[in-house]
Amino acid sequence: MTIKTKRSRLPRLVLAACILMGFVAGVQAAPDRDAKQTKTLQLPMRTDGPKSLDPAQGSTQYDNMAVSQIYETLMTFAYADPQRLEPLLLAELPTRSPDGLTLSFKLKPGVKFHDADCFAGGKGREVVSDDVFFSLKRLADGTYQYKNWWLLEGSIKGLDEYKATQNASGKAFDYDAPVEGFVKVSDREFQIVLTKPVFKFQYILTMFQTSIVPREAVEKYGKDFPFKAVGTGPFVLDRWQPKQSLSLVRNSAYHEVLYPARDEWNDEDRRRRLHRPAGQRVPFVDRIEFSMYVQEQPMWLQFQAGQLGYTEVPAEYFEEAFDKRTRELKPETSRRGVTAHQDALLDFIFQGFNMEDPVLGGLSPEKRALRQAIHLATDLDEINEAFYNGINEVFDGPIPVALDGHPKDGRAPQSYRGSDLPRARAKLIEAGWPEGKNARTGEQLVIRYYTSNAMLNQQQSEMLKRQIERLGVKFESVMVDFSTLIEACDNRKAPMFGFAWGSDYPDAENNLALFYGPNESPGANHFNYKRPEYDAMYQQILVMEPGPERTAIYEKMRDMLIEDCPYVGSMGRTRFYLMAPWILNCRPTERMWSWIKYLDVDDSKR
Amino acid sequence: MWPYIARKLLYNIPVYLGIILIVMVCLRVNDPASAYVGKSASQEQYDKLRADMGLDEPFVVQYATFLRQVVTLDFSERSWEQKRPVGEILSASVLPSLSITLPALILTTLVAVTVSLVAAYLRGTVTDRMLMFGAVLGMSVSLLVYVVLGQYFGAYWPKQEYGIDLFAVEGYESILKGPGNWVKYCMLPVLITVVLTIGYDTRFYRAVIVEETSRDYVTTAVAKGATKPKIMFVHVLKNAMIPIITHVMITLPFLVTGSIVMETYFNIPGMGRTLITAINSKDFPVIQAFTAVFAAIFILSNILTDVLYALVDPRVRLS
Repeated sequence: MTIKTKRSRLPRLVLAACILMGFVAGVQAAPDRDAKQTKTLQLPMRTDGPKSLDPAQGSTQYDNMAVSQIYETLMTFAYADPQRLEPLLLAELPTRSPDGLTLSFKLKPGVKFHDADCFAGGKGREVVSDDVFFSLKRLADGTYQYKNWWLLEGSIKGLDEYKATQNASGKAFDYDAPVEGFVKVSDREFQIVLTKPVFKFQYILTMFQTSIVPREAVEKYGKDFPFKAVGTGPFVLDRWQPKQSLSLVRNSAYHEVLYPARDEWNDEDRRRRLHRPAGQRVPFVDRIEFSMYVQEQPMWLQFQAGQLGYTEVPAEYFEEAFDKRTRELKPETSRRGVTAHQDALLDFIFQGFNMEDPVLGGLSPEKRALRQAIHLATDLDEINEAFYNGINEVFDGPIPVALDGHPKDGRAPQSYRGSDLPRARAKLIEAGWPEGKNARTGEQLVIRYYTSNAMLNQQQSEMLKRQIERLGVKFESVMVDFSTLIEACDNRKAPMFGFAWGSDYPDAENNLALFYGPNESPGANHFNYKRPEYDAMYQQILVMEPGPERTAIYEKMRDMLIEDCPYVGSMGRTRFYLMAPWILNCRPTERMWSWIKYLDVDDSKR
Repeated sequence: MWPYIARKLLYNIPVYLGIILIVMVCLRVNDPASAYVGKSASQEQYDKLRADMGLDEPFVVQYATFLRQVVTLDFSERSWEQKRPVGEILSASVLPSLSITLPALILTTLVAVTVSLVAAYLRGTVTDRMLMFGAVLGMSVSLLVYVVLGQYFGAYWPKQEYGIDLFAVEGYESILKGPGNWVKYCMLPVLITVVLTIGYDTRFYRAVIVEETSRDYVTTAVAKGATKPKIMFVHVLKNAMIPIITHVMITLPFLVTGSIVMETYFNIPGMGRTLITAINSKDFPVIQAFTAVFAAIFILSNILTDVLYALVDPRVRLS
């Protein structure tokens, strides 16, 4: 009898424990209910999130995503058309002098920094011309290890000399010292004088690293400035828990920025009702909560549970949401009100050759034929199918999809795209390595391929090995961590290497610069490709405005690279996004991140 | 006892210095600057970065500098990756880790000791075999499987199907902000840890207890008429405490290090995740400080284990 009584207590105890836990958890749940009274937007951030909220010290996409909500650049790309520039902190786009060297800027009136204790009385003051000069000069300050100096190097008159003088002086960096290329006209008007009339400079001013920061905040907060962000952006930093979450609240004093007008949207976007709030003042939401996700499953489940506004679709979940063949949303996903968007990234994924390598490098016909043979043996479509569900774009040349100079349908007139083994073997004979053996000495051709040791790279290396070894060539993968890979490329020790380049701005010039001779290692030209004709054309395009003439040169450079074959490629990712029914005005793009302010939420659809 | 502790501490100083030396040497096999130097870097930028990181100094100077920081407990050096003081990063990571590991250790130990006593008490019976089968099964399944299934069936599915929002799929809020946070964010990782580790502990404790039951004092107790439960739960358990304490004490330093997988999958900003991120990004200040703290805790817990032996077993004398 006693035993029976004891047994019957156990389920009760379990039940009581559950109720207690539920009650205790309920204590936590209460603030959530309160939070719903304001419009809160929950968004994911892949990986650990930003490393720094200081624009001058930022570099990653996640730094960009966070910084762009708090700080603003002079210009940005339009949300409705990410190829088109539009003013942000400027009243209008800058004007150019006839020689293209002087750019004149007018700041938008009434733009104020966020309220912070670094300002007199704690009230944010208006942005003036000196703030622009200060923010750009910071990139020359050795305190920030010149992390983003490459953006301005050699482009503004007197700035390189200023950098050299200030950093060599041994004294504190003098931000008041004049720079010839920074000309203040008034508090709201200024000019920047360039060393060369380079067109890309205006793109540089859209990059988050050139965001405008207040001098008072930098000086008062010092090394803590990255954690006490004070900008002009639509949102104010509320709380940042590194590697975990970032909370922002609406900037009630945000300057007037209107949602893109109806006619700015294309037909497809209008069909998706993206133009609905046209002309309304942004931001719409009161609060943004970013959560960081190192792993994909939690992000995916949170989205499925309706806790996130949008999510990129991880490769392993692609077929859960989409029909692999048509790339359309599955009916069961659509029925839940979830919508999808594809964003073609400005990607250039390749396997590069060190053109100084004694075996693989060089521009002689034999060396060129050897690289072409390897290219012809590589089946990028198979890699795309096996590792990316076939959703990547495979294309000829280094120019990503949607940019001037990208070949029609991804196919250039001359191509070495594989797999074409008969042609590859013929090229190998032409190169003097029939069946992968040296025609004179009988030596076995061995290719050492360096790549970072991420799981995906390991798997892809195995496939590359199988594809290339069909030629009789021996292929050895060297898996190293990313910094060692960079080091090997910088020191020109890697004969072949796997890499990717994300364009900094939507202009193929950025990709073509990767093969410009003076940019050789440790610069971005890790191929150490040097060809005077190519360099001359690159110099030419730098100062040209977009147009058919410039595009023709882009194509000529692209075809020259395809023929010389300093890499095997190319591939570009397409990011698939899913959007919850309750998020409005959403069309994600990774070209810039200032578009978050246009988002809205409909809590009734949660 | 105090002279013993003092002597042990002195003996361990060279060990401690050696650990730090080895870690610092290992870290410097590859140059970390290229990981931080950014896009399109110049040689000047690279040199400046190395100088700012202190890597241009001779190794002896770097070693001495770090030792001075450890001795003075000065962890104000900033992380290369996060730009925050290392001390701040580590102290912020300890509580999230302990929120998982400490309850998991307590629960695992209590359950494992109880189950192993029952199994040893019923040695050779179906119950014993079933318990051991469960233990082996629990430890045979990969942690990742528990995590994936736990997140789906423990957090996502009950909420989607029944509206029960007991556990979060991921995330962390400090227990200091409300006890509910612990249940919501930590309970599921704790339960998964318990399920995974209980198998190892149960098997080990059962073996220890079974060995104790063959001792002479057990025969004496039986002869004197002590009941079997009394023999098991009073005499045997007390004598089996030394291996149990050793096992628990060895685990103690790892409470602070947290669980890399658990913290990564559940997005908990603990020490395990901090360490793995620091290793991946070659963040020397964080790795070195972590090693220094961990080595110190490990040495201290070893000494504490010896002291506890003496406290629980009168036969042990510290000399």
